[in-house]
Amino acid sequence: MLEVQIEKSLHSFHLTSSFSVGNEIFGIIGPSGCGKSMTLQCIAGLQTPSSGKIILNERTLFDSNNKVNVSPQSRKIGYVFQNYALFPHLTVEKNISFGIRHLPAYKDQVHEMIKRVKLTGLENRFPHELSGGQQQRVALARTLVTKPELLLLDEPFSALDPHIKSQLEQGLIDMIHENYQGAILYITHNLEEAYKLCNRILVYENGKVVQVGGKEEVVNNPANITVAKIAGCTNFLPVHVTKQSEGKLQLLSQNGMELVIPETIRLGNQQMIAGVHSYRLKLEKNPTGKMNTLPCQIKGMVQGITFMAVQVICKGHQLEIKVPYDEWEKLKAETSSEWYVHIPAEHLFLVPAA
Amino acid sequence: MAHGINLFPLFLSLKVAGTATVIAIIAGLPIAYYLSRSNNKLTDAIDTLLTLPIVLPPTVLGYYLLVAFGRSSTIGAYLEETFNIMIVFTPAGAVMAASIAAAPFLIKSARSAFSEIEGDIINAAKLLGRTNVNIFFTVLIPLAWRGILSGVILTFARALGDFGTTLMVSGSIPNYTTTMPIAIYDALQAGDKPLTNVLVLIMTGVAVICLFSLNRLEKKMGKGRKKIA
Repeated sequence: MLEVQIEKSLHSFHLTSSFSVGNEIFGIIGPSGCGKSMTLQCIAGLQTPSSGKIILNERTLFDSNNKVNVSPQSRKIGYVFQNYALFPHLTVEKNISFGIRHLPAYKDQVHEMIKRVKLTGLENRFPHELSGGQQQRVALARTLVTKPELLLLDEPFSALDPHIKSQLEQGLIDMIHENYQGAILYITHNLEEAYKLCNRILVYENGKVVQVGGKEEVVNNPANITVAKIAGCTNFLPVHVTKQSEGKLQLLSQNGMELVIPETIRLGNQQMIAGVHSYRLKLEKNPTGKMNTLPCQIKGMVQGITFMAVQVICKGHQLEIKVPYDEWEKLKAETSSEWYVHIPAEHLFLVPAA
Repeated sequence: MAHGINLFPLFLSLKVAGTATVIAIIAGLPIAYYLSRSNNKLTDAIDTLLTLPIVLPPTVLGYYLLVAFGRSSTIGAYLEETFNIMIVFTPAGAVMAASIAAAPFLIKSARSAFSEIEGDIINAAKLLGRTNVNIFFTVLIPLAWRGILSGVILTFARALGDFGTTLMVSGSIPNYTTTMPIAIYDALQAGDKPLTNVLVLIMTGVAVICLFSLNRLEKKMGKGRKKIA
């Protein structure tokens, strides 16, 4: 259990952060320079927060009121750095034993760990003789063998080619789960990666926490337009609420588009922005009479690998719709020249107007 | 030919340069490390101060040392009373002059070698429980040794060749403080051409060996870097 409540000012940058993490994979995402790495460095003791508290498994690591600041050496925190930070002058075996050489039977533990992370046969190689994935496993083994109480992963896949990345993601997590029980902080700027690997996600913007929640919640009900954009949302409509009844809200867009959505808790001012993910929209030839089905014109399309990204104009608003190819073929075969877009009410979310 | 040639200046020079190099390593490496890891006004000030001996005329540097460590100065008097060390007109003075004149070469070279080490490598070592002193010897020195060694060679060569600063501080007392460069000057002044020639050849030989090993080292260093990257 990790509890963090810190503030850090550095030059013109201010970080304010507060969260707690149980035995889970906790994702921290946000654009670069938003405070992700600073947070990890404060937790690891490589940076000193201006004020606040950091408590790990009932051990106070930092407390500005009581002048507690445990050194990084004694924090028992495992850190996998972005570029792995392997010792270039040491072999795989010596890299992995670096943190436990003072223990009596350290060699057995190192060999056991080498087996567990599937590096057998590479013991005497140097880091530059390894592939990116092997380097990543050395970095992981080097820290797990010290039996840390908290594991920090700082963009562990950013140094790898994208096609290797997707192969290794699940393998890394499985390897961690087999050898480590405890809290994991996972930093990334990629929401898809965080969504795949994490249970809960925290989103930073300019040094402030804008949302903490389950990953589904962050994607389907983002707290503001920045989170929505990080979540990959491209469709935004400026709207205001015209009617509120029977658990439903009626919205009217700037250009007079009428929409209905289920009433949400997050309802502040009247000027809002309605967002919807492009893969939630449905492109249709015949109006089915469903709620929020509107006529539209096709403006352009971009071929994706698994979908056709169709740009449509609907009541003067531009929307992007991701249509799977099988559906796209069916739609093209139909004779009608009219197009409709269906905006499923349950997938519309409201965020405050910026 | 060796008959009649006094080799005392050569041995004194080697001893002085050797001792000065050791002093430069002990005092210079921590300074070099500090300079490589921080970047503020204090760093700039220290850097400027450390570059001065390279830029200043040796006589000017020697004069400063005389003022600072002469018997009438506070530091000079303290050294004499407490440790019975006298700087002026002694071999100890020659060592001091050579150290100060030559150490900047070591510091500059070691500093750039240290700055090439990624900060996260040091952070990783800390999080794996190693103390700063331990990290210095097990990570920093092994990673920077080529740069440090080339600094050591330059420092030794500079200390060996120092003329002006040494002459100002320790003078030229035959068989006591006369180092090689000073002996060459004295031999020339005395019109002893053969002796001058021999001494000059010896010095040139030492310099060539130093530069040759430096070149070899830099070639290796280039290869090593590619390997690590």
